[in-house]
Amino acid sequence: AVEDLFTSLNRHIQRSEYEQAIKVADQVLSVAPGDEDAIHCKIVSQIKADNIEHALSTISSNNNFHFYKAYCLYRQNKLDEALESLKVLEKDPATMLLESQILFRQGKMDASVDIYQKLQKSKIESLEINLVAGLVSAGRASE
Amino acid sequence: NPIVLDLAYNSIDFPSIENRM
Ligand SMILES: [K+]
Repeated sequence: AVEDLFTSLNRHIQRSEYEQAIKVADQVLSVAPGDEDAIHCKIVSQIKADNIEHALSTISSNNNFHFYKAYCLYRQNKLDEALESLKVLEKDPATMLLESQILFRQGKMDASVDIYQKLQKSKIESLEINLVAGLVSAGRASE
Repeated sequence: NPIVLDLAYNSIDFPSIENRM
C-alpha cells in the first residue's frame, strides 16, 4: 500500500539513504502518478545525492518546483536561466539567498551584497560570511 | 576570491510525510 511505501520512504530519508529514497518515491509514483509529496521527496533526494541532472529532469516534467529548478541551474552554472526561474517566485529569504549567490557568481558584487544587507534582520546563520565575502570581492572591505 | 557558502542549500528540504504513512 502507498502508506507502507511512505513509511519506507521516511525511514530512508531519516537515514540519509537518498538513492533508496529515490527508488521508493518512484514506487509511489508508479501506483500514484503525480503524487506531489513523492515528487517533492524524489527531487530533494536527487539534489542531496548530488544528482542535479536527474533532479532537473524530474522537475521539468512537473510544475511548481521553481525554487529547486533555479537551485539546480545555479549548481550547473546556468546563471541566467537560474535567475529566470526565480522570477516567478515571491521574494523570501530562500529565494533572496539564492539570487545573491547567483549574482555573486556573475560578478555583480554590489547587487549580491545589497541582498545580504536586506537579509541581515532575518537572523540567517552564517549570513555574515557571505556578506563579508561579497564586500571583500566588491572592494568594500572597510565596510 | 573569498568563499561564499551555499546558504540556499539549507532551504532544500523534504515535505512532511507523517500524515501519509
Ligand atoms: K557560490
